[in-house]
Amino acid sequence: MNVDEVVSGLILELRRGTLILLVLSQLREPIYGYSLVKTLSENQIPMDANTLYPLLRRLEGQGLLSSHWDTAQSKPRKYYQITQPGLEVLEKTKAYWKAFSNHVDQLLEGTI
Amino acid sequence: MNQDLLERYLYAATRRLPARQREDVAQELRSLVDDMLSDRCGDITPTEKDLRVVLTELGTPQELYEKYSGEAGKCLIPQPYYSTYKLVLTVVLACAGGGITIANGILLMLEPQEGMQAVLSWMGMLWNTLLGTFAFVTLLFAFFSWRKIPIGNAFDFDSLPPVPRKRERISRWECIAGIAFCVVFLVVFLGIPQVFFAWLPETGERIPVFDGEALRRSWYWLALLAVCGVSREAVKLMEGRYNRRVLGVTVGTNLVSAAAAAFWLTKGSLMNPDFLARLSQFFGEGEEVVITLFSHFPLFFLGVMLFALTLDTLEAAVRTLRK
Repeated sequence: MNVDEVVSGLILELRRGTLILLVLSQLREPIYGYSLVKTLSENQIPMDANTLYPLLRRLEGQGLLSSHWDTAQSKPRKYYQITQPGLEVLEKTKAYWKAFSNHVDQLLEGTI
Repeated sequence: MNQDLLERYLYAATRRLPARQREDVAQELRSLVDDMLSDRCGDITPTEKDLRVVLTELGTPQELYEKYSGEAGKCLIPQPYYSTYKLVLTVVLACAGGGITIANGILLMLEPQEGMQAVLSWMGMLWNTLLGTFAFVTLLFAFFSWRKIPIGNAFDFDSLPPVPRKRERISRWECIAGIAFCVVFLVVFLGIPQVFFAWLPETGERIPVFDGEALRRSWYWLALLAVCGVSREAVKLMEGRYNRRVLGVTVGTNLVSAAAAAFWLTKGSLMNPDFLARLSQFFGEGEEVVITLFSHFPLFFLGVMLFALTLDTLEAAVRTLRK
């Protein structure tokens, strides 16, 4: 058994759902994709642009985000922002995450 | 900087996306690459090497396409259909290949041919049959996956079906034998109808019972019969129990089979005229019953098939509906 391989597989699964939650949480104001990559990375949550950009488009397709092109600046950029249904999803998922991570921490630290 | 390289990269990544997304995705990626280059080079003008580094970081065009299209890991026949597909395909290919090979062996014993010609005709027949059966089984299961036909893999406890009573269970071997029978039926009647023959011991003559050409001309009825049979058995194999779906498929396919058999056996003669003309020579003048039977063989055969189809339908109905 290759321990590193197992660990990276587990980490990948752990990150998958969490990243969506984080992306939604950062889009209360309009932000363009690369700026979000940088924000996440500065907060120790590295995310590849080739994962984030298709994800933003998928969330937009689900109606959780809206987007518009800003062509007034020197570089044209596409800005994303969370929608009302997106906010509802975010709030419910966030509440679940808080309780869940709290219990996970307690179990991992052996305080239960 | 080589702008052409970037455009080729974007074209390769987006060309298979839906037309309405293509330009938008390309434009967004263009702006992303621009940001990544500014980040990397600051005020210095980026070189082609910088662009190559940035594009490598972004991933191959294929990776980008898979992520944007959401088609990563998608396939024509995913699980849970894949397991049954593999089983049915193995059975069908083995039966078709085995059937063709054995039948060719018998033919060769009856009508010795030159070695090379025999091998070539065997290989040609084998190739056509394997290709046809592979295509049919693959299309059938692709259809099952596309329509997401449920195959007893319920997600919540309440919709888990009860353990089938003994009477309701369908054995895998029953289905596999059914599929094998359909394939062998098709292969024998279409490929080598000469294996049915009457033998005159006095002269050593072999008179084929069927008119091979007429059988081949009516190939579509035979194919429809085999398609109905294999589809019915494949559904039974996936369900593993008699239920309303299996009953519905059984009734439907058996009705189509009965109609196909009726058209096949009553439209035009499938019998070898020479065989019919010499019936009395084979059986002797006294055997009126046998002679009448063989002179109306297609009707007799139709009767047997309808009887078998009725029995099969009744069995499915009883095993499904009886409490």
